[in-house]
Amino acid sequence: MGSVTRKKILSIMALGAMVGLLLVPILTSLPALAGGGGPAAGGPPPEVAAAKKDGDKKEEAKVEKGRDVYYKTEGIVSGAPAPITTDGEKDYPRYNFESRVLIWFANQQHLYYGSFVLAVPIFCMIIEFMGVVAKDKALGKKYDQLAYDFVKISLTAYSLTAILGGILIFTFLTLYPAFFGYLSGIFRPVMHIYALMFVAESGTLYIYYYGWDKMKTGFLKWIHLSMSVVLNVIGTVLMFLANSWIAFMMSPAGVDEQGRFLGNIWHVIHTALWNPLNVHRILGNMAFGGGVVAAYAAYRFLSSKTDEDRAHYDWMGYIAMAIGVAFLIPLPFAGYWLMREVYAYRQQMGITLMGGLLAWLFIIQATMIGILFLSTNYYLWQALGRMRGAEKYFRYIKYLVFILFCGFLIFITPHTMVMTPAELKAMGGQQHPVLGNYGVMSAKNGGINVIITTTVLSFVWYMRGNKVSTVSWAKFGNIFMGVFFGLAYINIVWLAIYGYYIPANVRVGLSVPQVATTLSCLFYMFALNSVMMKGAKQLGPIEWGKISARSQYALIMLATAFTWMMGLMGYIRSSVRLFWHVNEIMRDNSPWAYTHTVGFAANMISANVLFFWISILFVFWVGSLTKKAAPVEAKVPVPGGAPQPVAGH
Amino acid sequence: MTSPYFWLATLIAGLVLLFVGAKSKTLLNNTVFAVVVSIMIALSYFTLVDHYFMDMQGLDYWYLFRN
Repeated sequence: MGSVTRKKILSIMALGAMVGLLLVPILTSLPALAGGGGPAAGGPPPEVAAAKKDGDKKEEAKVEKGRDVYYKTEGIVSGAPAPITTDGEKDYPRYNFESRVLIWFANQQHLYYGSFVLAVPIFCMIIEFMGVVAKDKALGKKYDQLAYDFVKISLTAYSLTAILGGILIFTFLTLYPAFFGYLSGIFRPVMHIYALMFVAESGTLYIYYYGWDKMKTGFLKWIHLSMSVVLNVIGTVLMFLANSWIAFMMSPAGVDEQGRFLGNIWHVIHTALWNPLNVHRILGNMAFGGGVVAAYAAYRFLSSKTDEDRAHYDWMGYIAMAIGVAFLIPLPFAGYWLMREVYAYRQQMGITLMGGLLAWLFIIQATMIGILFLSTNYYLWQALGRMRGAEKYFRYIKYLVFILFCGFLIFITPHTMVMTPAELKAMGGQQHPVLGNYGVMSAKNGGINVIITTTVLSFVWYMRGNKVSTVSWAKFGNIFMGVFFGLAYINIVWLAIYGYYIPANVRVGLSVPQVATTLSCLFYMFALNSVMMKGAKQLGPIEWGKISARSQYALIMLATAFTWMMGLMGYIRSSVRLFWHVNEIMRDNSPWAYTHTVGFAANMISANVLFFWISILFVFWVGSLTKKAAPVEAKVPVPGGAPQPVAGH
Repeated sequence: MTSPYFWLATLIAGLVLLFVGAKSKTLLNNTVFAVVVSIMIALSYFTLVDHYFMDMQGLDYWYLFRN
């Protein structure tokens, strides 16, 4: 048996053993999960334990049953009720500082890093796969190098994520012991699985990173690639488990009205908002991760000394931005679904979010979303400049700017304004007679869909920038594409206007065909464009590295806006519980159970963003200290010395 | 006009014309023909999207036109 074959067999065995080991904690937990994980939150009441022991019928009659607050099913009470806390050292020990601000900071920083280290391995998986299947070997190696660069960045961040997780737990234990005790009692088996999964994630990540050199060719490369799939499955499960805790805090299930665990752990995990949160977070993490990596590439581009480096980081920034934006486009729709589910769960909660106490934060959120899309479009228009032949699109950009700004201005128009009595009198009411019309959801849905459709159009232009289709039906294809986009815009605006003339219960449904219109443009036009550009004539190469510095600042802006918006949305989601630790189950009786002013919240979010970016710069710097670059062959100079990592997009 | 079958028929007619046009390349690349076929397909497609996505939610897309 040759050494290569032996290595292959050993690799497969190692992978099999690894998967087996990963499954062990889950398999061993299954009986416990099926049985609800046993008594929780301090164990069952003494009379319940006694009843079980004796097996006496009389005693069994004492087994207390409760009704699930969400699923409305009956279950045996298996945990203590949610503690009724009082403001004091016992339930809320504190420093001479607002404990909520400390927990806010620790949570937010952990979340930023957690999102980053969960998103980047997904990028690596995609890019490594692109490298493996690439027909052009040189291009394949470049993708491989890029994937390696990505994982290198995430490795240092991974350690910091774990440290921040530890800080977060200690902050909870020391400042909110009663609440954390209750939550960890309910989620005891889930938390243990979480911890084991974290160990598995760490092990897989280190093998994945350090095994890059050893598993760079042939079948071993596929094993390596499949390890990235395992890594991402673990990462995603980790995130889903963590999401179940916050979903439980917002929309509890699996407990009775006193907060007593009813023995079904799946009900506790699978609450009303769990799935919408999962989808929203996975998309958000990917968009955020793309933004951070793009900002890293932009920073390296701006500080590059050679054309070769500039070309590499320009390309890296583009790829990261493209992946990030691919997940940004469906993100508002996932957010919309989440909000719909919030309304369906508790209408009052939805009103607090979007029409009441927190409504102004949604206006800020709309502004940030607008900035994200404007930055993306600006970057793409700048990127057209590095392609010969793309000049033909320049004269149309001003129209796109106009459309984007119309959509943006409508999207950020508030429904009502905070005014002094004199201003109120001067305006003749809470709503502006003209602009007030744009402050309703019908108009806003139209605004955001117009923005997203325009971004799709900018992408299509970018993808065909330096190409001319050679298919025989090219003229028809171009006309069809133009008509399809034109009618899509008309349909979106028509549905927005139509909403003013029909009752609210019918109007609310119009957002779905609006979204379907936008997604039709995304999927059909990308597909059509790809078919049309197959074997297209190239007017000139993409001159990687020859892009304006402004474009790189747009990437940095994109990443900063992502970070700020994540902080904002996290705050909104958390503060919608108002004075509850666990909504309608466990009341927050600390002195900080009030909603902060918009100004304070904005300052706090900015401080979090600033800290994150300073610390991630440190992470980047640490990453740059390791000069080891695994796929050595990938460092072969670009043919002809042209600063051009890839020929295509 | 408020019947989805009318728009479905328009979509099918558009696709048939597209198929006929594809048989003779010159017709497909004729500007007027291409614009007409594109409008038929895209307009009927978006109307059907509007109708069925509202219908899926138990809502009537043609509410204003019927009342």
